[in-house]
Amino acid sequence: MSYLIREALHTDLDQLMVLENSCFGSDAWDPDTMHSELVAKHTHYLVAFSTDESQRLLGYAGISKIPGNDQADIQTIAVSEQSRGKGIGKALMLKLLQQAREEQTEEMFLEVRADNSAAQKLYLDLGFEHIDTRKRYYQPDDVDAWVMRLQFANSVVGREPIVLGIETSCDETGVGIVRGNTLLANIISSSMDEHARFGGVVPEIAARAHLEALKPTLDQALAKAQISLKDIDAIAVTNGPGLGGALMVGIGAAKALSVATGKPLYAVNHLVGHVGVDILERGELKTPTVALLVSGGHTSLLLVRDLLNDVELLGETIDDAAGEAFDKVARILRLKYPGGPEIDKAAVGGNPKAIRFPRGLSLPKDMEKHRYDFSFSGLKTAVARWVEVAEAKNEKFSVADVAASFREAVADVLVTKAVNACLDHNVPRLLLGGGVVANARLREVAQERCDANGIELRIPALSLCTDNGAMIAALGSQLIMAGRAPSSLHFGSESTLPVTTVQSL
Amino acid sequence: MSNKISAQYNLCIDTSAGTTVAVMQGGEVRSEINFDENMKHAERIGDAIAQAINSAGIKPSQITNVVVGRGPAPFTGLRIGIAAAVMFAEGVGAKLYGVTSLDAIAHAAFKNGADNSIPLLVTADARRSEVYWALYSGVTKSGAPIMIEGPSVAKPAALEELLADKKLQRTQIKVAAQDLGKVFEAQQNDGTASHDVTALYLREADAVVPKDLRDFGKKVSG
Repeated sequence: MSYLIREALHTDLDQLMVLENSCFGSDAWDPDTMHSELVAKHTHYLVAFSTDESQRLLGYAGISKIPGNDQADIQTIAVSEQSRGKGIGKALMLKLLQQAREEQTEEMFLEVRADNSAAQKLYLDLGFEHIDTRKRYYQPDDVDAWVMRLQFANSVVGREPIVLGIETSCDETGVGIVRGNTLLANIISSSMDEHARFGGVVPEIAARAHLEALKPTLDQALAKAQISLKDIDAIAVTNGPGLGGALMVGIGAAKALSVATGKPLYAVNHLVGHVGVDILERGELKTPTVALLVSGGHTSLLLVRDLLNDVELLGETIDDAAGEAFDKVARILRLKYPGGPEIDKAAVGGNPKAIRFPRGLSLPKDMEKHRYDFSFSGLKTAVARWVEVAEAKNEKFSVADVAASFREAVADVLVTKAVNACLDHNVPRLLLGGGVVANARLREVAQERCDANGIELRIPALSLCTDNGAMIAALGSQLIMAGRAPSSLHFGSESTLPVTTVQSL
Repeated sequence: MSNKISAQYNLCIDTSAGTTVAVMQGGEVRSEINFDENMKHAERIGDAIAQAINSAGIKPSQITNVVVGRGPAPFTGLRIGIAAAVMFAEGVGAKLYGVTSLDAIAHAAFKNGADNSIPLLVTADARRSEVYWALYSGVTKSGAPIMIEGPSVAKPAALEELLADKKLQRTQIKVAAQDLGKVFEAQQNDGTASHDVTALYLREADAVVPKDLRDFGKKVSG
């Protein structure tokens, strides 16, 4: 359900009273009390309305803060019965707490019924503590009241958190630092060169390199952000999807850092991190958006309606990742690793239409079952066969033509399916992510086809497209600002973590 | 041992076999948490450290030294303990030290009555039908084990052959974080404590350089 939150107006009074009476019954305020609350100088009231045609009032909440006083009180909060459990109460509270913090409030108080465990959990998650109990406060029900207090100095609620992100899911050790939606540092140490002589990422070599690189990468990130670990509000770490042994290095490091510093820990999804990184460039993620994530380990097409709550996997590769196909074809053409930039170089001057290599899963029968899925294994084999045949016949052939034709096949199928996803779902935005986005032809084809179809194309800076810690920090920051509770210390690595799990608890 | 050193809290972490974490102070065990299973190190390391510190009744910031077992050990688990130790030390500004995990076993064996005049063979599971091993001649006055051969990795049969003509004693003791801490304190006393926390894998990464890069993906077992 979508809704909007705005300041309450005195003209909202009638609707407020209907909800007040239905929520509080005999405890309900009378209209005069409600009216004076709404118009008083020392109060803030917010209302949540549904954005559908009905424009119903879904909830409201208010605080009272006397100017010059550094304490404030939650006066009331109500959410209509059919709209509960959807985060509306939390969203109202977060906005009020943010306002209170901006007005230099140091402590916030509230009373809640001792038998209302759902509300208590919300307040505890937001950082309130139960400090006192008022006996038989609520009459005639004869129910105790919990007095709860939030000390802003001990909490990040209502301000932009400084978050450290650790990423070790493949061959890049990334440590990033953000404040709210702002990038402070993004340091990446890659073991790519160590894999070159093997022609592909060797998981054990990647994991060994993470262990060596972690501390220097962290130190550099802190220096770049000009902060110390004491300034960090929380730590975020990738726990999947990715290479298990590599992920575990980051997880062990992040957990120990969390225990050592006492800072909360958030275990987050690598692929959702790739999507959320756009926030660091634009200050927001425009949704809904289709996201095409293409790297050496992933080729995924996502439909993102809401970064934290609604990410759907439309399709993914059923065999090789696109980046892997570049690496393998580079080997076939006796080019270096990583294959992407080498094939880009080799393709210069080549004719992309010289050889019609197959577009995986694009035939009508495949499109029925695998409309948004990818396959690059057959393409790689087709290139290998073509080269074999040419070599067997001792024919001279143009490496530039082969490289350009192969690259065209990859770019064509990636962009065709991504644009289909946008058109099918009526989504006017496409976001690219992953290291293969560095590929010049992919960017060109994406721009041409998006322009032709009225789709807004977003390609973040390359340092934010490749695997990095900043995107992990950014996702952690979004979770914190949405009032999400931290992860436990028990989570493990999840090599095949689905995109629907944004945070592992 | 000076009072200053004996008052220090040492956090000891070893993931060369199971997950074992201890808080030590002046030779005394303040707490020890053990998960024996040789798996799930990533899941357990955070809880193990937090519980060890809580049970010792101290705050993380009171830790002066972090001591970590460097193995030898199979790859994945070992790294988790070292990564955790490095980051914990960074997080609280503690000094970081490495101890060979087999030394901890040797220390415990000698303490539990192993004969100081006969070399002690310490082995640990290296998987793939191999063992890690080291040979010790005894301990220093402070109690630090003296390694005379190893650490190495071998097939058990090859190890038997290698050591056939030697009179040896063996031990079945498993590595425990408190023994790691005791080795560290002895080494500190002897002036041999080391800041080297490099993982002792003793095996190359599990991959070979293909003769022809077109053959990538073929692996050999090592």
